[in-house]
Amino acid sequence: MTTPTAPSGRRRSIPNLTGYVMLLPAVAVIVLLVIVPLTVIARDSFAISDPLGGNLGGFTFDNYGKLFDPVYAKTLGYSLGMAALNAAVCTVVGYIVAYYIANRPAKTQPVLLVLVIIPFLTDFLVRTFAWITLLGSGGPFITLLKLFGVEATSFVPSQAAVTLSLLYAFLPVAIFPIYASMRAIDPSLREAAADLGAGWWQTHARVFVPLSAPGLASSVMLTFVPTLGVFVIPVLLGGGKDPLVGNLIVTLFTEFRNEPLGAALSMVVLVLMLASVAGAGLLLRAAGRRNARAARNGKEGTA
Amino acid sequence: MNKKFLALGAVALASATVLAGCSASGDASSTSASGSKTLSIYAWAGEIPDSVIQGFEDETGITVTVDTFDSNETMISKLAAGNSGYDVVEPSQYAVQLMVDRDLIATIDQSKLEGFDNLAEKFVDPSFDPGNEHSIPWAWGTTGILYNEACTGAPVTGWSDMWNPAYTGKVYMLDNMLSAYIAGLQVNGLSATTTDQADIEKATDSLLEQKSILAGYNSSNYADLIGAGDACIAEAYSGTTSATAVEANPDVHYIIPEEGGTLWTDSFSIVKDTKNEDAAYQWLNYTLRPEVAALVTDDASLASTNEAALPLVADQSQVENPAIYAPADSLTNSEFIVDPGDALAFFQDGWTRVRAS
Repeated sequence: MTTPTAPSGRRRSIPNLTGYVMLLPAVAVIVLLVIVPLTVIARDSFAISDPLGGNLGGFTFDNYGKLFDPVYAKTLGYSLGMAALNAAVCTVVGYIVAYYIANRPAKTQPVLLVLVIIPFLTDFLVRTFAWITLLGSGGPFITLLKLFGVEATSFVPSQAAVTLSLLYAFLPVAIFPIYASMRAIDPSLREAAADLGAGWWQTHARVFVPLSAPGLASSVMLTFVPTLGVFVIPVLLGGGKDPLVGNLIVTLFTEFRNEPLGAALSMVVLVLMLASVAGAGLLLRAAGRRNARAARNGKEGTA
Repeated sequence: MNKKFLALGAVALASATVLAGCSASGDASSTSASGSKTLSIYAWAGEIPDSVIQGFEDETGITVTVDTFDSNETMISKLAAGNSGYDVVEPSQYAVQLMVDRDLIATIDQSKLEGFDNLAEKFVDPSFDPGNEHSIPWAWGTTGILYNEACTGAPVTGWSDMWNPAYTGKVYMLDNMLSAYIAGLQVNGLSATTTDQADIEKATDSLLEQKSILAGYNSSNYADLIGAGDACIAEAYSGTTSATAVEANPDVHYIIPEEGGTLWTDSFSIVKDTKNEDAAYQWLNYTLRPEVAALVTDDASLASTNEAALPLVADQSQVENPAIYAPADSLTNSEFIVDPGDALAFFQDGWTRVRAS
């Protein structure tokens, strides 16, 4: 923003002001779409509810008290588990895909990236229904299994269908950050690793994974956090028998007509998300420091 | 420091202007333009055919706008927020009770109604709205069982079949608390409208026990699953999706369970703070006409509450389809689901336990 050649203080103050003015839309968007709704939810989570679905205002800790019921802990635990599993699966698959794309000729890389996005131009719900057709009876998977004489009727509803569909839904947000950090890696490092006798496994474990760590961390966060809010997939592909915390929040807000309790659960999920983001950030910083130290030690060693 | 302060102030001011702009435009849309007459209706998605609206506009010269909702709770919260701008709403039976309690809908002046006699007996003076003081029923339906006989191998007669281990992994329940409890209560011989804690707990135990048999809870595509034979039995709502499944496959049947079964009905009510009361009464009277009421069956595949309309339905196979018009003799024990009031807490506790188990 600031022009490095500006000589006088008076001139520098003008771009500063324009800087603030240009920030306005972004700040307004964040205030209106993030801070205001969050404040409303935070406030509602302490409100008193009436059985008719009203929000009586006031102040109570009852809503948070109710969340100590083991029923909620169980659903939260299951959701965190599913989110962690999804983040892990997405990141591993995303790493493989990103590595493949990053090693294609420069001309084909953008084409492959566009191919990754194309399915996502279709509505999310339509794609989820497509999975029902693909995995259901009469679908290609069942037909294929029957060709091999395996007796199967339908993969829907099942835990596997939920896991697969979650992977499908979040894979692109895993691929992109990993690809971004993968692209920055000097390709000659791979040749160097090969020259020094590193096998496939060592090349990845000691060169590519550490160097794409920021991308891997973003991938984990970008898949873990939104999975906690998913509610359509478990219903359509999992039969709705094991609700995720997103399903529970929807139920609390609609069928149970209990906005304050729903708001309280939303706040708990929000805090868990923030805690996991902070945790990942700390881990990453620690890893970064260790890498830096290792690099320094390495230099000293060779010197 | 000062400059920063100034910038923050500017941000706050800009945000305030945007907010003010929102509320100003909200007000503008809720007041009808003077001169031309308008009627604003808030109704269930798919329950008022275009043909009905078109006919009303042509005859009265009133411009109708229809917004739709897909849950009573959404509709109630929008009206409770105030200044909704709607004149006529279409609550379900228990929602009528809720809205009367919250003073959201007006008392209907019965002397202004024409054609009220056309309503079928069970919708006159109903349990949820004595004397039809606040609601004129428009469409109705049932909660029952949709099953595929090729899959079950035998006719299904009641809720108890949904607890039969022979169908393990082939049974779906509706993903809706009150609907699930209809089955849970009636399978125990209890009333679906009970508010007794012990009754509700007994139903909770039954629903917990049923979970090992279930394929899942599903309110969206159960009719497809039954039609394809991926599921054998599903708790189901009557209406278009169930009716189509019954029509398309001779093995698919819709029944009202022998333990009872329940009715729902969606009614027209006048919003308390309406500015177009005359137009609202014109709408009530227009929709009470038999030839208009018949359109809800012909164009929306729903059952009409209007007895005189039945012979006027063009496609009589719809009147004979049990997934649209449940046979009268199957409804002798059926009840309207009413608002559980304070007992809602017992249902919620139980349902949370059932879903999370």
